[in-house]
Amino acid sequence: VNKITGLFFGIFFLFGISWLGLVAYPYLTFAGLRQSKDDSTGALAPMGNPGTATQGARVYAANGCFYCHSQYIREKDEGNDIDRKWGTRRTVARDYMFDQQVFLGTSRLGADLSNVGARQKDPQWFYQLLYNPHSMSHEVSMPAYRWLFETREIQGQPSSDAVKLQGSIAPPAGYEVVPTGEGKALVEYLLSLKKDYPLPEAPEATE
Amino acid sequence: MKEIPIAEPDSRGEPSSLHGDLSVIDQSIRTPVLIFFGSGIFWLVVASFFYLLSSSQIHTPTAWWTFPGIASLSFGRAYPAFLNCYVYGWATCAGFGTGIWLLSRLTGVPLRNPLALILAAAVWNIGMMTGVLSILGGATTGRELLEFPIETAFILFLALATLGFWAITTIWNRKPGATYVSQWYLLGAFLWFAWMYATANIALGVTPAPGAAQPAINWWYVGCLVDLWLTPIALAIAYYLIPKIVGRPIYSYRLALIGFWGLALFGGWTGLTHINGGPLPAWMFTASIMAKVLMLIPVLAIAVNFHRTMKGSFGGLRDNLVLRFIVTGAWVYTVYSFVGSILSARSIAQFTQFTFVSLDQIQLGLFGFYSLILFGAFYYIVPRLLNRQWLFDKLMETHFWLVVVGLGLLLVDFTIGGLIQGFGLEDPQVPMIAVNDLLEPFLAIQNFGALLLVVANLGFAMAFGLILLISGPVKVRPIATEQSNEASESTEAEVSVA
Repeated sequence: VNKITGLFFGIFFLFGISWLGLVAYPYLTFAGLRQSKDDSTGALAPMGNPGTATQGARVYAANGCFYCHSQYIREKDEGNDIDRKWGTRRTVARDYMFDQQVFLGTSRLGADLSNVGARQKDPQWFYQLLYNPHSMSHEVSMPAYRWLFETREIQGQPSSDAVKLQGSIAPPAGYEVVPTGEGKALVEYLLSLKKDYPLPEAPEATE
Repeated sequence: MKEIPIAEPDSRGEPSSLHGDLSVIDQSIRTPVLIFFGSGIFWLVVASFFYLLSSSQIHTPTAWWTFPGIASLSFGRAYPAFLNCYVYGWATCAGFGTGIWLLSRLTGVPLRNPLALILAAAVWNIGMMTGVLSILGGATTGRELLEFPIETAFILFLALATLGFWAITTIWNRKPGATYVSQWYLLGAFLWFAWMYATANIALGVTPAPGAAQPAINWWYVGCLVDLWLTPIALAIAYYLIPKIVGRPIYSYRLALIGFWGLALFGGWTGLTHINGGPLPAWMFTASIMAKVLMLIPVLAIAVNFHRTMKGSFGGLRDNLVLRFIVTGAWVYTVYSFVGSILSARSIAQFTQFTFVSLDQIQLGLFGFYSLILFGAFYYIVPRLLNRQWLFDKLMETHFWLVVVGLGLLLVDFTIGGLIQGFGLEDPQVPMIAVNDLLEPFLAIQNFGALLLVVANLGFAMAFGLILLISGPVKVRPIATEQSNEASESTEAEVSVA
C-alpha cells in the first residue's frame, strides 16, 4: 500500500531472522542441556560450582578480569590452545550449563583460564599473583589487586590464608596480609575453573 | 521496483521555497539537538580520560599516574568505562542529535514541542551517569558493551523508546512524496537499536539465558550495535551531506537499495566472529563469517555510489573540511569492512583472534569511520543551528590531522604488534611472558597514538565550547559550495520502497 509500510516490514523481517537464529535458538536449545552420565561409573558431568565460586564470579566480573583473560578452548584446527596446555579438549556448550555468568573473553593478554583450577591447586599461588603479580612471574601487564586484601594485626595464630610476602612489600612484624571475603571468593572461583571431566561431544584431542 | 527520478540540483545560490522551511525546522529542533551534541561531547571528554588511563595501565601498570591500588580506577573498570562512555555517551548521543536533525529536515516536519526530546536527553544522561558509576564501583554485569546493570539499562531504554517513538511518528507525518535514502537508514537505526537493546538486556539480565547462550546473545548484540545502530547513523549522514555539499544527486538508486537491504540482511549476523571457536554450534560461526564476507556486497555498492557522486568534486576535499571528514570516514568504512572480512576467516583468525589485531576493527570502526563522519556532521550542523561560525579554522584542520595520524599510528602498531603476539601465542614453545615482553614497544606506541586521539577530542570539545559561548564575527569564507546548496533538498535521490 504504502512505501513506508514496505520499509517497516523489511526492517523488522530481515532483522528478525538474525534474532531467531542467534538469540531465540541458543536460548531455547541450551536451556534443554542435561548433564552427561558416564556409562561405566555413572558419574555425572559437569557438576556445577559451589556457592562461593558463584560469588567469586561476580568479583571476577567487577574487576574486569575477562578483558584480558579468555575462558574457552578452541578445537585443534582452530588454534593451538591445547598444545599450549590450556586444556585437554575443546570446550562445548555443556561445560557452561551451570554458569550464571559466562566469561568467554576476546583477548589473551593473559593466559586462558578455562582450566586454571586444574593447573594451579594452591590458593597461596593465586593470592601471591593477585597481591603482587610482578614478583612471581614477571607478568608485565597484570595490575596488582591489593584491594582484595587487608593488612591486619596478627591475633594469636597467624592466618593460614596469610599471603607469604618478602622484602619491601612484606607487612611489618606482628602484621599479616590476608585476603578479604571478595579475595577469597575470587580465588575459590578460579580454583573451580576446570573442565577435566569427559564429555562425549568433545573427545580429548589426540596427536 | 521503480527507477529513480534523479532530480537536477536546484538552482544554485538562490534560496528556493524550501529555504524558509529549513530554518523553521532548524529553529524548532535547536535545543534538543544541541543538548544531545553537548552531552555527546561531554562523554567524549570523559571517555578520553578513561582511554588514556586504561592504555597507560596496560603499558606501565605500576606507574603512579595509572593510580595503582585504587579499585575504581583500575584497568578492569577504566577500560569498560572508556568503552561505554565512548559508545553510549559520545557515539550514541551524537547519533541521536544528528538523527533528530536529519529526520526533521528530510521529513519537513518542524518539531512542535521539544520537551519530550529534551527529557529523553536528560534521562539518557542520568542513565549514563549511573551506569558509569556502577562500572567504577564494581557493579557490572560482566558482559562486553552491556556492562550497565539492568536498572540502568531500563533508564536508558526509556529514553531510547521515546526517541524511537518520535522517529516513527515523524516519518509517518512526513510531507507527502519522496522518502530519502537517509530516512531508511535512520528509521532502521532507531528501530533496530531499541529492539536489540531490549532483547539483550531482557535475555541476559531479566530472564538470564542459560550458560553458553549468554555469549551468543552478547556478541549478537555487539555485532548489531555496530552494524545496525552506529553504521546506519553514519551512512545516513554521508548520504545526506555528500550530495548536498557537492551539489549533485546520489549517483544510483539501485546501488543505494543494495547497500541498505544488504546491511539489513547481514548486519545482525556479524557479531559472533569475535568469539570464533567458542562453545557454540559450528553453523553459527559459519553463518557469521559468511555474513562478514557477504557484507562486502553492500559495502562496495555504497562505496561506488559515494565515489560516483563525488566524481569531479574531489578538489572539494581540500577546501571543505566537512566534506573531508565525511568522505574520509566513508573511505575508512570500506577499509574497515575489508579488514573485518579478512580477520573473520578461520585460517587467519587462528593467529589474530585474542590479539591486538582484533582491536584494529574497533579502532577503524569507532574512531575512524563513525567518529570522522560524526565530527563532520557536527562541523556542518552546529553553525546552522546557532547561526554562527566556527572560531578557528586551524583548529578543525588540526583536529582532522590528529585523528588521521593517531588512527594510522594505532593501526600500524596494532597490526604489527598483534601479529607478533598472534604468532607467539600460536607457538606453544614461546611462554606467555615472552609474548608479552615482545609487546612492550608496541604498547608504548599505542600509548602515544591514544594521546594524539585524546588531544584531538579535547580540541574538538574546545571548538564546540567556543562556538556555544562566543558569537564570533561572521566571516565570508569559501564554503560557498555548501551554502549555495543549502536549499536543494532534492539533491538526494528520491526513493521509493518496492
